Amino acid sequence: MAQDFHLKLITQRASGGDPIVRERTVPGPEATIGRAADSDIVLADLAIDLKHAKMRFSGPGRVSLESVSGLPFTVGGRVVQRADLNAASHPVAYFGSYALAFEPAEDEGVTVTVTRDDQEHHASPSVFSLQARFLGRRNMAWALGAGIFLVCLLVPLVFAGVLSHLQIHPDQQWSSGPLSKAHAFLETDCKACHVNTFVAVRDNACLSCHQAGPDKGAEAKVLAKAKDEGSPFEPILVSEHAEHAKLEKAAPLPPGLASKASVIIQRAFNHPTDRCASCHIEHTKAKAPADADPHAPVTDKPDLTVTQTCESCHTGMKSRLPKTELIDTPDWGHHPAFRPLVMTAAGPTPTFTRIALTSAPQERNGLTFPHKLHLEPRGGVARQAIDLGKANGYGAALECQDCHRAQPGGKGFEPIEMERDCGACHSLAYARGPDGKLKYLPHGELQKVVDTLAGRTLQGSPPSGRQRPGEIRPQAFSASGASAYRATFSKGGACFDCHTITWAGDTVRMAPVKLTARYLPRGDFDHSIPEHGAIGKTGKAGSFKCADCHAAAKSEKASDMLVPDLPKCAACHGKTTEQIAAAGKSDCAECHSFHAPGEATPPPGHPPLETLRWTKDVASLGEGG
Amino acid sequence: MTQIGAHTERVRQRTHEGFLRHHGFRYAQIATGLCVAAVGVYFVTAARLHEPPSGGSWLGYTLGTISAGLIVWLAFLGVRKRVITEGHYSLKAWVSAHVYLGLSLVVLATLHTGFQFGWNIHTLAYALMMLVIASGALGIWAYATLPQRLHANRGEITRRQMLDALERLDAQLRDVAQPLDRAGAAVVRLSVEDTELGGGFLRRLTNNHGDDANQRALKALRNLPPPAGERQAEALAKIEELLRQKADVLSLARRQMQITAMLEGWLFIHIPATFALLAALTAHIVSVFAYW
Repeated sequence: MAQDFHLKLITQRASGGDPIVRERTVPGPEATIGRAADSDIVLADLAIDLKHAKMRFSGPGRVSLESVSGLPFTVGGRVVQRADLNAASHPVAYFGSYALAFEPAEDEGVTVTVTRDDQEHHASPSVFSLQARFLGRRNMAWALGAGIFLVCLLVPLVFAGVLSHLQIHPDQQWSSGPLSKAHAFLETDCKACHVNTFVAVRDNACLSCHQAGPDKGAEAKVLAKAKDEGSPFEPILVSEHAEHAKLEKAAPLPPGLASKASVIIQRAFNHPTDRCASCHIEHTKAKAPADADPHAPVTDKPDLTVTQTCESCHTGMKSRLPKTELIDTPDWGHHPAFRPLVMTAAGPTPTFTRIALTSAPQERNGLTFPHKLHLEPRGGVARQAIDLGKANGYGAALECQDCHRAQPGGKGFEPIEMERDCGACHSLAYARGPDGKLKYLPHGELQKVVDTLAGRTLQGSPPSGRQRPGEIRPQAFSASGASAYRATFSKGGACFDCHTITWAGDTVRMAPVKLTARYLPRGDFDHSIPEHGAIGKTGKAGSFKCADCHAAAKSEKASDMLVPDLPKCAACHGKTTEQIAAAGKSDCAECHSFHAPGEATPPPGHPPLETLRWTKDVASLGEGG
Repeated sequence: MTQIGAHTERVRQRTHEGFLRHHGFRYAQIATGLCVAAVGVYFVTAARLHEPPSGGSWLGYTLGTISAGLIVWLAFLGVRKRVITEGHYSLKAWVSAHVYLGLSLVVLATLHTGFQFGWNIHTLAYALMMLVIASGALGIWAYATLPQRLHANRGEITRRQMLDALERLDAQLRDVAQPLDRAGAAVVRLSVEDTELGGGFLRRLTNNHGDDANQRALKALRNLPPPAGERQAEALAKIEELLRQKADVLSLARRQMQITAMLEGWLFIHIPATFALLAALTAHIVSVFAYW
């Protein structure tokens, strides 16, 4: 019996539903497979050759499949040119999109079921949309967001401390701007200032490198710490303007509604406005004034923000600090009269009281000294000064600077030293030694004078007038013909002219003497500037002489206060150059500064940062003050 | 068809001009007012501030708070548009406000910076915000102009019809190619199987399909050896005609894709950048208070 191929051609309907099945028998033993219309099995797939393959029976239920085009086909997952198939095992051969499934027929032939894997892809209009190609929009969004959240927030927040040991500073990306040159060494060490997370920088952080006082030892430690931290500059040590607790209380809310609200809100959110960092702003470019000193750039230091003016706090202060003793100074025109420290009792530990100059205070310095007598141009003192001659530094009627010696720089004056400043006329010589040299009484310690003179009797005859230096003053010992001791401390004696002396029997009592070093320690005054007399400045004529401010020529008592009062200052300060050539500014900074009210505010940028580079060992730091 | 087209045109014009012109430019006016006020306050106040202008002054905090609030609200459009509501706060109003208030951030947030920029998280947040705004501006331009071009491009043919036409042409190509030998069939297969309609984002955006398989098939067709018989010759002529038709439809569809890519592309920057911005903004705010 001949073997036939029973073909079963199954075609899917495009509209769905039952497939179309056509059956046909191809007589054996051979059948052709291809795209050509005259093939026994027509496979209308362009991937298939016109004459692609042929199949023939090779035994009962066995078919041999062979390519005739050289193009392969697939059987059992393998790409082959030839295959022997046993219909009993239901093999399937694939040609392009067609599948030929073999199975034994009822006769000795084989049934070949031809199906097409018609998985035609029908594009949807969504291919026009980008979403069809770009699947990751949402994923991209989440990945980016999460990435930034992690890298820019969580890691710096949680691991900044740990990572800093590895020299990794993830929190540096939070820096809103560079630090000033003075603090640039802390650029990677955020925690040096931002000690506690979510707590505004507190003064402790600043003061750990900038705290002045209470003693040199403490200051040296503070400076040493700054050096350890790596600061290339010696920090400026500062003091509080006033007791810290009182500072914020004394300050009124700033002017302007927005600024008021800002301060109230800041305080409410634990961001006090009286911190160092409230005024000294970092991470921002400092504003340089137009007339900035190029040698002291303000940009080298944190930007200084004046949150309160002097006047704003020093106006109506009693309403905020009822117990304050400070007198309001709403403006220069209402500056209170000077209240110098007036010595009310001299001695090794003198007592001082602040007394307004307007109440004409008298000073008790223990000294007998009439300025008038010394300054009279035709008096005995003047004559003696002329007699002393230029060779001795005199030669004319006395001037202030003959006795008051300017400090280096001329800002102030050296303390009076009796031997140096008075000794030219007021000789302390009491005897001539065996070598012919004069012997001087030790000034300053009463007991030593007493001991020196003990047992000594009078020598010489009593002339009149004062003796020149180098001469013994015989009348000092001739007062009553008694002992030199009693004579020295009695009228006409060496000590009697200037000291207040009393006797208790044979024991001399001398009122203690102390001269005030600084009458107005809460304000600055520079004698060296030309308008103030150019003291200590050679070749520069001052606009004013001492006598313009100090009424010494009329003073007959040592207790007179010769410090001029405010109107003297106001003659120039607060005036215009049209009114007076030496006109000066009248803002508080002229004489006061915030951290050291006794000193004038330095010009912006001063002292220049570069001058603060370490020059000494840490151990000796702070010794210079 | 013409009537329907005209109707669509009217509807389209109304909606697309709608969100920009909404309520007589109400939100444009609000946004402008906000900007003018901010600029005015800035230039009056900044000079009087004690410190250099920055986000840390009271003005900085105020502008920063407004800006941050706006950013969060603007980002909520993504949530809002998924919720169908009725009433005054229509989606159109939201979009209108989104557009104008979003643009106003250029002014508000820039003033908030006090013109201080650096390589830090704060400037990153600012840069991302500007990226979001720039891509959003691109979106406004796209939504205002491209639908018209999209419509003009496709004429009266729908996208579905374009795809159907391509499928039909492919089917015809397959049929017509049946009598061809292997080389001829390969040419047709090149067009039918390898032609890529779209492609990646850049290819769509530039509409550059230089290696288009259909064009290559056309070229290869001309290089085929002379046909074996009349039937083949006839088939080849028919195939050339079909390939040309297919090229025309492809060109139309791809232009459509290009405009669509422009219409949608900005969102691929706008949305991820918005997420990045929200994260950077959070980091910016938290870090400022962490290191207060």
